[in-house]
Amino acid sequence: MTRLLTLAGALFVALPSLALASTTEGATDEEFDPAHEWELQSWVDLPLGLDINKAVAYVILGTAITCLLGIVLMRVKFGRDPTKRQAVGEMIYEVAQVQVAEQGLPTKAIGRWFPYVATLMIFIWVINMLGFIPLPLSDETVEIGGVDLPTLGIFAATSTLSVTLALALMTWIFTHVEGIRANGAGGYFKSWIPEVPKAMLPLIIPLEILGQFMRLISLSVRLYANMLAGHMLILTFIGLIFLTHWAVFPFSVLMGTTFYLFEVVIVVSIQAYIFAALSAIYIGSAIEPEH
Amino acid sequence: MLSSFFFLAETTGDVADAGKAIALALGIGLGSLGAGIGIGNIFGSMIQAVARQPELRAELTGIQWLGFALTEAVVFYGLIGGLLAFVLI
Repeated sequence: MTRLLTLAGALFVALPSLALASTTEGATDEEFDPAHEWELQSWVDLPLGLDINKAVAYVILGTAITCLLGIVLMRVKFGRDPTKRQAVGEMIYEVAQVQVAEQGLPTKAIGRWFPYVATLMIFIWVINMLGFIPLPLSDETVEIGGVDLPTLGIFAATSTLSVTLALALMTWIFTHVEGIRANGAGGYFKSWIPEVPKAMLPLIIPLEILGQFMRLISLSVRLYANMLAGHMLILTFIGLIFLTHWAVFPFSVLMGTTFYLFEVVIVVSIQAYIFAALSAIYIGSAIEPEH
Repeated sequence: MLSSFFFLAETTGDVADAGKAIALALGIGLGSLGAGIGIGNIFGSMIQAVARQPELRAELTGIQWLGFALTEAVVFYGLIGGLLAFVLI
């Protein structure tokens, strides 16, 4: 089983590299640069800059799969003996309930905010996971039998800052809206200020306000940079073949596979969990400020 | 010959780019150093805690991964800062 997984992982890593090789052998004489993967070209031009590009396609696909996952795993007929589908659904539900929602949210707010944090967790997990499955969604094309087909590539929508910033912005706005609604505007903003001697206040207040904005940055950049660095590492190791010599092929595929497995097994789930858990903690701490 | 190799080696190529590359690598390297110590601390403490009170394992696991991700992210702040400086300056 483990060997099969490793083999599948190696194939997954090797496939995009083959696709890359086929494009670099062509007429394009450009230098290999992993950063090209993040230059998004518009596929469908729409007004107001709402173009559809690679990242948008991945987000749409991720949304569809998240909805499907919810329907398939959660809308199960309750039976005497639980099916595998129900077991998986309950496992996900329990992680969202016990590990995410109850960690951060106060009991009275769980009913309202559990759907949000659970959706965040599943949605980010799906998008992250899609980022490590080679899909024919890319800006480069390869000609097979006279038809231009997009090459297989690995790309996560969460490795672009816009996507993660939008998610973080949602949490950030919900935090303040919910804080004001639960405590009143005066009570909520007063709760930002810790109890310190009066002389310290001019120093503390700007720091606390800055801290609120830092949350936004840290929440978005954490997810973005994790996924970016993961893809960059894999791409760089595969790219060594084209940059140096074909003889490094075993080494670079081995290293690429190692990082691929590390990302898929650990980073993808951890980042989804951490984003949802921190959202819950932020919203929870706004509803019931500690004093 | 030897002295020219050490002291008077002519610089070729873009020196500014080389400097930026060194700075980027140094920044990420030092960032990883701190995060490495931090992650080691977290898992070390986790092992100690579970060794003393194995019944708390389930509760501690969540906190452990939260701490792990928060610490690990510090490297990436360095990486993004370095990349920004590399591209913008």
